[in-house]
Amino acid sequence: MKVLKVILAWALVGIPLAFGISQTLAKVTALFG
Amino acid sequence: MSWLDRDRTIAPPGFNRWLIPPAALAVHLCIGQAYATSVYKTALVAHFDASLVQVGVIFSIAIVMLGLSAAIMGTWVDTNGPRKAMFVAALFWSGGFLIGSLGIFSNQLWLVYVGYGFIGGIGLGIGYISPVSTLIKWFPDRPGLATGMAIMGFGGGALIASPVSTALLGFYDPNSGAANWVASGDSVGKLFLTLAVIYLAYMMFGAFTIKVPAADWVPAGFDASKVRVKALVTSNHVSAKNAIRTRQFWLLWVVLFCNVTAGIGILEQAAPMIQDFFRQSDGNSLVSAAVAGGFVGLLSLANMGGRFAWSATSDKTGRKNIYMVYLGVGTVLYVLLALVGSSTTALYVVLAFIIISFYGGGFATAPAYLRDLFGTFQVGAIHGRLLTAWSAAGIAGPLIVNSFLDAQGAPGALTAAAYQPALLTMVGLLVVGFVANLFVRPVHTDFHEPEKPLVGAQAKKAHA
Repeated sequence: MKVLKVILAWALVGIPLAFGISQTLAKVTALFG
Repeated sequence: MSWLDRDRTIAPPGFNRWLIPPAALAVHLCIGQAYATSVYKTALVAHFDASLVQVGVIFSIAIVMLGLSAAIMGTWVDTNGPRKAMFVAALFWSGGFLIGSLGIFSNQLWLVYVGYGFIGGIGLGIGYISPVSTLIKWFPDRPGLATGMAIMGFGGGALIASPVSTALLGFYDPNSGAANWVASGDSVGKLFLTLAVIYLAYMMFGAFTIKVPAADWVPAGFDASKVRVKALVTSNHVSAKNAIRTRQFWLLWVVLFCNVTAGIGILEQAAPMIQDFFRQSDGNSLVSAAVAGGFVGLLSLANMGGRFAWSATSDKTGRKNIYMVYLGVGTVLYVLLALVGSSTTALYVVLAFIIISFYGGGFATAPAYLRDLFGTFQVGAIHGRLLTAWSAAGIAGPLIVNSFLDAQGAPGALTAAAYQPALLTMVGLLVVGFVANLFVRPVHTDFHEPEKPLVGAQAKKAHA
């Protein structure tokens, strides 16, 4: 249960952050690639 | 509001400390939106029929309020604990968006100044410092890693807010498919309302997840007495009131001011600067506006990544040494940028990337440096006071760069040579910061707290 709580908490912040990073990387790759 | 007090948030035995970084990140990812205001800047200019400067004032007020509220409210944050601080920060930050949206809907720019700038800015300041001292207490073995994780969120917030805001503006504006589309004021108002709700929910998640460790808690397997004694890492404590009387505080203030001023100089001018550096004799640049936009995104990643990577590295190298790198190597990189940066775009991009990663690293390593010098007692409050260096740098950096560039010629016609005076001025600033860091020594025992510092309600009584 404790581990699940930690995973959920990290997912709540990690998923939006990963989305933001992937959007920026896609933009950068498209422009420089 | 006693249910938000520090004493009511003490973690029970067996609490997993890895719940604390996501709680801190939840707050920093939300307030990091402050770096994504450019998404709707043009829309606000059109909506209010105002100048860029008039709309830019919204952001300036928010940053000034960040520094002021962090400095003024720091002791309150340390005394009342992170839950109450995050709760209050959430109310101010989302309240700022709500009042800002009212200003947009009613076409009153001053209301946006009051809402997003003034009230939201207070939320920024309290939110920025609220999890710092708690993280340091939960991670006595890796304070740089812990604060790096949270402060990385401030850099990452813009990476999320930027694409989400663009998508929402398109969703709310029926004309979003038109050529040369500029979002309507109505859609920006609705965006503000949406962000207010999302940020309130996220920051409340942070507030209700965070807990402070019990006074006698230490991480499993961690024995403070077995940690190698480092000259600059104290086991004593200095109050915020005493800290600002020490030479060390003001040396660090100068270090942060110089590091941030130099970084902001590039960040603020990033898109036009790369185009100007590769402007050909016919006046056209080898770098298109679209590529310049991608370059800005790359710098955002450097800013965010540097906050985590360099701050975590400082746990191994020591804080003073890592600032030697930020400022010393930064000086060399700035000189290279000024003198040979225009030779190839690859070299330019690599130099700027590393410089901005140092800029982010400087921010994220500061709380751990303060903890080393002043202990954990009121490190949040001391950090708040140190952030006034950020506010000052936010004014000085753009002023230095823009003043030099104004004297060199008109925007759109500048070349790499036009940037040399500004960049070499930044080199001078970095040298000043490097020397200031060299002078940092352990804090004199006269400033130490006489006995074991009080926490929570005890500290509140003591300060009353």
